[in-house]
Amino acid sequence: MAHNNPWPDEGNTGHIWDEDIRELDNPPPLWWMLSLYAGFVMMIFYALYYPTIPLKDSHFEGLAGWTQIEEYKEDKAVLENWRKAKFADQEEQLAALSVDEILKNDELKTYAVKTSKVLFGDYCAACHGAGGQGNPNFPVLADDDWLWGGKPSQIKASISNGRVGNMPARGMMGNLTDKEIVQVADYVIALSEGKADQSKYAPGKAAYTKGMCLACHGPAGKPLAPAGATNLTDGVWRFSGDRDEVIKTITYGVNVKKGGELTENTRKAVMPAFKERLPDPEVNIKRLAVYVYSLGGGQ
Amino acid sequence: MDTTAKPQYDDGVVKYLAVGAITFLVLGTFLGTFAAAQLAWPVLNFDIAEITFARLRVMHTNTVIFAFGGMTLMATAYYTVQRTNGVRLWSNGMAWTNAILFTIGLLAVVLTISLGMTTGKEYHEQEWPLAIAIALVWTLYTLNFIMTIASRNKETHPNVYVSNWFFMGMMIAITYLYVVNGLAIPVSMFRSYSLFAGVQDAMIQWWWGHNAVGFFLTAGFLGIMYYFVPKQAQRPIYSYRLSVIHFWALMFGYVWLGAHHLQYTALPDWTGSLGAVISLAMIIPSWGGALNGMLTLSGAWDRLRTDYILRFLIIALAFYAMSTFEGPVMAAKTVNALSHYTDWTIGHVHSGALGWVAMISIGALYHMVMKLWNTDMYSMKLINFHFWLATIGTVFYIVAMWVSGIMQGLMWRAYDEYGTLAYTFAESVAAMHPYYVMRTVGGLLFFSGAVVMLYNVIMTIRMANAKETAAATANA
Amino acid sequence: MSDNQEPKNLQERLERNIFGLFMATALAVSIAGIVEIVPLFYLKDTVDYTEKTDKYGNVKNEKFPELVWERTFTQDTDGKLVSDKALYKQDRNGNWVIADWKAGDGVRPYTPLELAGRDLYLREGCYICHSQMIRPFRDERERYGHFSLATESMYDHPMQWGSKRTGPDLARLGGKYSDEWHVMHLLRPQDMVPESVMPAYPWLAENPVSEDFFGTERDMTERLSVMRTLGVPYTDEEIENANKAIEGYTEMDAMVAYLQVLGTMVKLDDSKSYRE
Ligand code: HEC
Ligand code: HEC
Ligand code: HEC
Ligand code: HEM
Ligand code: HEM
Ligand SMILES: [Ca+2]
Ligand SMILES: [Ca+2]
Ligand SMILES: [Cu+2]
Repeated sequence: MAHNNPWPDEGNTGHIWDEDIRELDNPPPLWWMLSLYAGFVMMIFYALYYPTIPLKDSHFEGLAGWTQIEEYKEDKAVLENWRKAKFADQEEQLAALSVDEILKNDELKTYAVKTSKVLFGDYCAACHGAGGQGNPNFPVLADDDWLWGGKPSQIKASISNGRVGNMPARGMMGNLTDKEIVQVADYVIALSEGKADQSKYAPGKAAYTKGMCLACHGPAGKPLAPAGATNLTDGVWRFSGDRDEVIKTITYGVNVKKGGELTENTRKAVMPAFKERLPDPEVNIKRLAVYVYSLGGGQ
Repeated sequence: MDTTAKPQYDDGVVKYLAVGAITFLVLGTFLGTFAAAQLAWPVLNFDIAEITFARLRVMHTNTVIFAFGGMTLMATAYYTVQRTNGVRLWSNGMAWTNAILFTIGLLAVVLTISLGMTTGKEYHEQEWPLAIAIALVWTLYTLNFIMTIASRNKETHPNVYVSNWFFMGMMIAITYLYVVNGLAIPVSMFRSYSLFAGVQDAMIQWWWGHNAVGFFLTAGFLGIMYYFVPKQAQRPIYSYRLSVIHFWALMFGYVWLGAHHLQYTALPDWTGSLGAVISLAMIIPSWGGALNGMLTLSGAWDRLRTDYILRFLIIALAFYAMSTFEGPVMAAKTVNALSHYTDWTIGHVHSGALGWVAMISIGALYHMVMKLWNTDMYSMKLINFHFWLATIGTVFYIVAMWVSGIMQGLMWRAYDEYGTLAYTFAESVAAMHPYYVMRTVGGLLFFSGAVVMLYNVIMTIRMANAKETAAATANA
Repeated sequence: MSDNQEPKNLQERLERNIFGLFMATALAVSIAGIVEIVPLFYLKDTVDYTEKTDKYGNVKNEKFPELVWERTFTQDTDGKLVSDKALYKQDRNGNWVIADWKAGDGVRPYTPLELAGRDLYLREGCYICHSQMIRPFRDERERYGHFSLATESMYDHPMQWGSKRTGPDLARLGGKYSDEWHVMHLLRPQDMVPESVMPAYPWLAENPVSEDFFGTERDMTERLSVMRTLGVPYTDEEIENANKAIEGYTEMDAMVAYLQVLGTMVKLDDSKSYRE
């Protein structure tokens, strides 16, 4: 009622709440209304252009024929074609040649190394460290000490099929006594320090023979052929050179199973197989093998 | 008008809720800053299960959105519904029950989440006993609100004011979505399994998730805007017709947007595109609200120089306009392909949450405190100080996350000169560090502002109470 | 105040009748869900053509049979639900192991230990930092593997797709690392990845998985049976043995079991189009 409206001239709607709240009867700004309509029109076009409308058994596919999977395939093709245009040669050779042969070709080797950086970083570095420098309990790849061999084909096999090292608890026959284990541990540590000849290590050496450690680690602590066993003479420790840890390794072994399950306290050492895990595994495993080889210690 | 017969309102419960909201703001921004610091320096997880990052973060979201946001919504709704309808609450007792149970409920939510009890659904983490309790308390709130409006004098108040539409719309949508998304079968007191799985669960989850944003954090706070901006500016709302159009556009439109959180996932293409296109179409309706608020000020801009509370309200509208522009942009396919999963989302969240939700609430809360205790603030200067702490903190936060988010997105998809990926994931994590530090600083500023506010409000209340006692003794 | 004139239009009518406004608003907010959500329950291509065929939760996929593990449920004479293939069994050594399913055979329900691990994944909030949803982008394929399909999370109540990648996507994590690595990583992530911002979870190694909050039992029998109610197919025997199957394990074992199964259920063929 106008006579109750203390603001008769401001163009309000005549409604007043809480003493002084009122609304003007302005129209919305023109640009706003026009944009609103434009939005509606855009919406209709968009909805017809892209798949947006569910139907009874399927959905309306949109006039553009766009799907996210098509878009994906196109993007992927663009990248692949670009790679092909620039690196078809290199990629073909990577696919055709063996790791050995790749390594002989400097240019190709460089190419393989450069294209492996992120692959190694995303798939391997979590265990082996960003530069292959190893993590506690995971082997260093950047040195020339190899569990399974540093030849290109051996490295490739490691990556492709994975590796599981095995070492029995308490020596080959499981018959080393606690005392002998301490002795052999001291002997092994001495081996790594190059002073195992000292007479005080004789009992340890005897235990080494009794435990048939030489079967894997070789007669002088150096494996005759790489089969997962550590070189014990070089001061590079796969697990740890700490005396208690060495005793633990010998007492409980590595990947020792009983009744189908790993025993408590045994060392675990599993390198996963990547032949089905990596994208484009055929080439990428070779690439990575070249990369690992060139980290420093390839043989 | 007759000023001697001021209408009497049930303001006790509003006072309680307002102080509660400010307290939860302090707590929630503390948790947020702590979480931000953990990402910058992971040692701050301290290996304590109850405060590891993921749990702390969920405690943060629940404290700020549901405890702080919820109590602000309750305080303001109970405050404005009485004033704009010229009646007392339909049931004061029910309002108190609602307020007390909500406080206890939300404290229980935060506590149980820190213990690890969670449904694993984002923004609906509380397990079933609490979810049921909260749904019931929410119903009390909704019922009381609607019945208060229904009990107005239709002669003096024929039309329901626009604030109330937004509050009610928010209540309806939240009840409906919360309940559907929460359907589950319990397996123990502390655990339940969602009724839905996989794609359908994802869609339902984000149908709710987006509207925790669209209704809880937007529609409800627009209700606040429509009352407090004209009140504080002492100006009429610019356009009634604009209010009508953008109200219905929001009510109808916002509910469709959830699918924009699931673009390029295993959700069917059509659903994602539908969510995206309606998101784009929501820029203008959203701006309708911001515009109506800002134009309300036209002719009163000079007041901004002196009225610090108005500053909060206006900067909130600016951030609202910005984040409702940014959101639709992020919903566009090509942008979402980059921004999804990155810190950009977090930046967007906080331009809405700090810039819009928190700022408008802070403005409204200051206004209410002065009205409820019928006094000036203890210190106006401190309000100005708070304003700058909050604004600079927000800017730090958002800028840090824009840079880190876009960088993250670009690093993940970057190819080098050989056509192979250029960066490992770990490199992208390392690159975030400086921005995580910067965000922590921003958070610290914002949090300090909240502490200043709490102090100022407590002193104001003490001052008002002292005055009242003095007046009472003088009269005696 | 202003007037008691007749309302001029519907809007005014609603403004004056709060219950009318209530109904109109309720109508406005309910349409989207009907259009966007309901079709997801009936359109066949939503879940890559994987269909439930009966009340036991038997599933099949005629178009891409490799996506789901199919087995046939029947009721034996005692009315117990049995199947031609077993999900898990006790081996000669007394260990509970996967029985007739092997990696790549298609999506299957989780074993009790995996499901317990999944509950822990939720409890710790891993989804806050890790997504489990690889998008169809060339860079994600190279980093994480084939894009995720809807079928892969069909038994996930609730899904764990996530919305933030503070850490990498985990949808195809299974087999990428050894169990040992996971244990060491969860005990101290920075030992394995110096840049990591992930928290450590040492308590997982200490708590027995059979225990839930406040020393109550983590009752896997109850959990599997609720899962079956929700449509995840288990036989009666599998449900009955569920508690025995987690005996003696720690929370760490359960978490690792869950992490190791992620993405290993189906073997997707890059040359095939599972989605158009
Ligand atoms: C889960 C952790 C883990 C991941 C991931 C991993 N490795 Fe290994 N890797 C190991 C372990 C453990 C060994 C040692 C196995 C043993 O002791 O028998 C090993 C051994 C190797 C060896 C043999 C080393 C030697 O001394 O003979 C090579 C080569 C190798 N890894 C390369 C790689 C590459 C390349 C990748 C990425 C594609 C990779 N690894 C990923 C854990 C891992
Ligand atoms: C059947 C083969 C086998 C026998 C026998 C064996 N080992 Fe081993 N040993 C291994 C393998 C394999 C590893 C490395 C595990 C790995 O890295 O995955 C290993 C590792 C070790 C290590 C850890 C070295 C490091 O770098 O941390 C020590 C010490 C060791 N062996 C000592 C012994 C001693 C002492 C004996 C005899 C008592 C012995 N081993 C017998 C296979 C064997
Ligand atoms: C603060 C965020 C955060 C939380 C919470 C978190 N993570 Fe992580 N996670 C990361 C980051 C960052 C990385 C990458 C660096 C690394 O490998 O540690 C990561 C890496 C991983 C990886 C290695 C993935 C890969 O492919 O290399 C696994 C597995 C993992 N997290 C599991 C979990 C589990 C399980 C939980 C919950 C118990 C969890 N994470 C909680 C941040 C987090
Ligand atoms: C029209 C308005 C808006 C649209 C279209 C919109 C759109 C979006 C989009 C596209 C995302 C990213 C989804 C993703 O990639 O994961 C997002 C995330 C988010 N937005 Fe908005 N936004 C809008 C307004 C707001 C406002 C005002 C707020 C206020 C607080 C807000 C809060 C959030 C939150 C909390 C998330 C994070 C959700 C999550 O946990 O992933 N949004 N929004
Ligand atoms: C001091 C102020 C604040 C700080 C420092 C802060 C910090 C944080 C941090 C660190 C995260 C986690 C981000 C991540 O996972 O990377 C987060 C998430 C979130 N915060 Fe805040 N926050 C603050 C205030 C607020 C306020 C006031 C609100 C709401 C009103 C809010 C709402 C949210 C939401 C919704 C998320 C989840 C976002 C998502 O999942 O996408 N925050 N906050
Ligand atoms: Ca080595
Ligand atoms: Ca999120
Ligand atoms: Cu959204």
